[in-house]
Amino acid sequence: MQQPLTASPDAPSTMPAHHDTPDMVKVWDWPLRAFHWSLAFFVALAWFTPGKYDSLHRFAGYTVIVLILFRLAWGAFGTRFSRFHAIGRRLRAAPAYLANLRHGRTGRYRGLNPAGTAMLVSMLILLAISTLTGWMSTTVRFFGVPWVEDTHSYVSDAVIVLVVVHMLGVLVMCVLQKENLIGAMITGWKRRHR
Amino acid sequence: MKALIKVSAVLAVSIFAAAPALADGFKDCTKLEKAKWKPASEAEGKAKEAGYEVRRSKVEGSCYEVYGVKEGKLYELFYSPEDLSLKKTIAKN
Repeated sequence: MQQPLTASPDAPSTMPAHHDTPDMVKVWDWPLRAFHWSLAFFVALAWFTPGKYDSLHRFAGYTVIVLILFRLAWGAFGTRFSRFHAIGRRLRAAPAYLANLRHGRTGRYRGLNPAGTAMLVSMLILLAISTLTGWMSTTVRFFGVPWVEDTHSYVSDAVIVLVVVHMLGVLVMCVLQKENLIGAMITGWKRRHR
Repeated sequence: MKALIKVSAVLAVSIFAAAPALADGFKDCTKLEKAKWKPASEAEGKAKEAGYEVRRSKVEGSCYEVYGVKEGKLYELFYSPEDLSLKKTIAKN
C-alpha cells in the first residue's frame, strides 16, 4: 500500500502533483465537490421548508433526486476517488475502523475512509427513501397514506442525524489527522501520504 | 475533542428545534382544552360530507388536520376541535 519515499522529485507517480506545493495531491474532482456542496445546500433547504414553503420544499427534493442520480453515475464513471469500486471492501472494514477510532487510532486514506464510505452509503440510501416518499405524497395514489408520510418524516429526521454525525466525524478526523478536510472538499487537494 | 462533541450537540439540538417551528402552515384553531375536544372522527365526517375522500386525520397544533382528495386534487383541511368549523383549506397541487 505505502510507497517508499524517493529522493528524486520527479519520481513517477500516478497522482497529479500540485504545481507549487508538491506535498499535495488532487483527490476530489470538481463535479464531486459541486455535488457535495449542492447536496448540502438543497438538503438544508428541504429541511427548513416543509409545509409553509411547499413549492420550495418540492423543488429542493426533486433537485436532491437529480443529485443522487448524478452521484450514482459518477460512482461508475467519475475519477478515481469518486468511483464506487472500493465500496464493498471499505464497508466491510468500517466496523473495525470505527472500533479503532474510539481509541484514536485511524488509518490514513487518500479518498474516503471506511467510516466515510459507510456514511456515503447510508446517506444515499436514506436520501433516496426520503425523496421517494416525499414525491409519493404529492400523488393522488399515496397522498395522506400514513406509512408514506410517516416514513418520509422519520427518514428525513434520520438524514439530519446523519448530517450532524457526518460533520462531527469530519471535525474529529481533522483533529486526529491534522488535516483540513473541509478545505479539501472545497479545493479538491489533500496532503500527500507519509 | 470534548468541546467538539459539545458544539455538535448544540448544533444538532438547534437544527431540530428550528424545524418544527417552520413545520406547518396552520396550527391555531382553538383555545379549548384538549379534554373537551370533539373526536377526530367527527372532523373526518365533516370532510366526507363536503365531498372529500378522507385519507387520514391528525392533530396539528390545536387543529384537526384532515387529508382529503376531491376530483383528483389534494387538500389539507383544518377543523377546529371545538365546534368542527373549517378554519383553513390548503390545496396541495
